[in-house]
Amino acid sequence: MRISGLVGASALTFVLTSGAFAQEASLDLVEPIAEYKIYVSEKLAKLVEDTTAFTDAVKAGEVDKAKELFAPTRLSYEAIEPIAELFSDLDASIDSRADDYEKAEADPEFPGFHRIEYGLWEKNSTEGLAPVADKLLSDVKELEGRIASLTFPPEKVVGGAAVLMEEVAATKISGEEDRYSHTDLWDFRGNFDGARKIVDLVRPLIADKEADFLKTVDANFETVDTTLAKYKDGEGYVTYDKLTDDDRKVLAAAVNTLAEDLSTLRGKLGLD
Amino acid sequence: MSSSDPQRAGGPPSRLTTIALIGAGVLALAGGGAFYLASQRAVRPSEPGTIAVRVGDKSCEPMDLTVPAGRSVFEIENASNRPIEWEILDGVMVVEERENIAPGFRSQLAARLKPGVYDITCGLLSNPRGKLTVTASAHSEAEKVKPPLKAFIGPLSEYKVYRALRSNRMIQAVGALSTAIDAGDMDAAKSAYAAARTVYRHVEAVSGRIADLENAIDPVATYLAGREQDPAFTGFHRIEFGLWHEGSVTGLKPVADKLEADATTLRDRLKAVKFEPVDLAGNAAREARRLAEGPVISGDNLYANDELVEFAAAVDGLEKPVSLLVPLLAEASPEMAKATTDAFAAVRAELGKLSGSDAAPVIYSDVSPDARKALAADLVALADAIDRINPALGLE
Ligand SMILES: [Cu+2]
Repeated sequence: MRISGLVGASALTFVLTSGAFAQEASLDLVEPIAEYKIYVSEKLAKLVEDTTAFTDAVKAGEVDKAKELFAPTRLSYEAIEPIAELFSDLDASIDSRADDYEKAEADPEFPGFHRIEYGLWEKNSTEGLAPVADKLLSDVKELEGRIASLTFPPEKVVGGAAVLMEEVAATKISGEEDRYSHTDLWDFRGNFDGARKIVDLVRPLIADKEADFLKTVDANFETVDTTLAKYKDGEGYVTYDKLTDDDRKVLAAAVNTLAEDLSTLRGKLGLD
Repeated sequence: MSSSDPQRAGGPPSRLTTIALIGAGVLALAGGGAFYLASQRAVRPSEPGTIAVRVGDKSCEPMDLTVPAGRSVFEIENASNRPIEWEILDGVMVVEERENIAPGFRSQLAARLKPGVYDITCGLLSNPRGKLTVTASAHSEAEKVKPPLKAFIGPLSEYKVYRALRSNRMIQAVGALSTAIDAGDMDAAKSAYAAARTVYRHVEAVSGRIADLENAIDPVATYLAGREQDPAFTGFHRIEFGLWHEGSVTGLKPVADKLEADATTLRDRLKAVKFEPVDLAGNAAREARRLAEGPVISGDNLYANDELVEFAAAVDGLEKPVSLLVPLLAEASPEMAKATTDAFAAVRAELGKLSGSDAAPVIYSDVSPDARKALAADLVALADAIDRINPALGLE
């Protein structure tokens, strides 16, 4: 789920400086954009596979198994969230929160992963979730099909890294995304990996001119990595409430800086 | 899409419950939330020409906006009693957005917009959307007939992805072919062969120009001194000769292994090919002419006789790069965009007419010289249509 919360400072930077970069976009972007699409396609293939197993478990009434599969299944979705703006309708049906609906959790329209999460953790049950599971799987498959034939606008890909970091800074950091399961750290893993992938792919284009910028960005990604690593548990992560106040502050600071810094990436690549 | 913003105090009761549920979130306020709220206040004085949009509980004010193409700055005021998002939507794609604008706050958003009609969101998902009309400017009109270089990055990337995926599939299919030959399974070998040829045809417009590989992968006996006995008779057609003419897999294993290695090299070489914007159409037109002059007239698949199936795949391969330019072409010249689409349809119709049915496919040796000429003429007409694309996009 993407919420490009307005982290004012970065948005302001954008308003103030767009146009100030005389930089022209270059065809050197073709390679990273193509690579990124292949990355997304691989994530989506994995998402379809994992969502199939997850929704099968939900439909079979296997609460424990479904709970176990929830966070790992979401990982691939969270990794492609930088480009969720390209499919806002499916993003809503796959990953919206109860707050988007008039009657919140009780709203029959409340769909997707978080509707299932609510059932599994708050009700400890899969009752009534079969149609939600079917819809989720068909949405995820539709997403895969749609992405396959979609030409990625380069400014959306490059801008997506910042947009996602802004969302994490503005909302996700509070633990709102996975509020019933508290599996937020898994989502963070996906979000940071997904955003960093974009930076890594365009890195060769700016390595010389923007060495300092890249150094700062890398340092912040590393801070995130080190912090998340402390909470590693097997293949995944402990629940979000285990995060200490200090570490939460460290994460928040790193994400805020990333959001601000990455909001200049489009301009640096001539894509504003 | 929006979600709650748990950091906001004084929301409706359901929201407070939410906050209680996610105690973790409240603690985070010290970090992200505080920064976030502070930043929302930091709205600069409006730039001249800033477009004001007030979002109330049920709608935007105004619901109908018109701006000229180019860069516009919007200032969104949240006059409703809950946090809102404001998005400019082009179909399902969010062009620009600001989310979590707290009640009573304003937020600015800059967007560079092309002419067209967009939706704007106005708070709750269930609220009606407003309309944003972007009118043409002298600059946007000029860009239609000469799109900036960055307009080609998406199409070029997409074609690169296409080549990568096709050539990977070719490696898989040739691998399956090799396995089937090893197992002496004629049926499996024939179907793997057909699958590999289909994807080969998809990328042939590019691969056909990598001469050394083309000579290893796709030589036709007709052009070799010793014909089928020539040591240079390798690759696909050698296998085709074995499977269909000799009806045996004898001696094909090393050929298949070599083909597999060449397919891997082909993938890497295709990956390294650097395309310029002119190459998307240029390459497709050239390949259409090559097909018209050579394979369509004289036939390529002398033993399997399934050219009609392969030509259909080749046309798909021509259409891929061209289709990526069609959205730009439709802006520059809607008539030309239609003419291009029509030319593809004409070739497909001609192929369909010749191909017979699935149950009784027509073999190419039964296609008369006149029918071949007619198909070739359609391909030439297609090439002519494709040739008009680059000048229309200011590329030549
Ligand atoms: Cu999400």
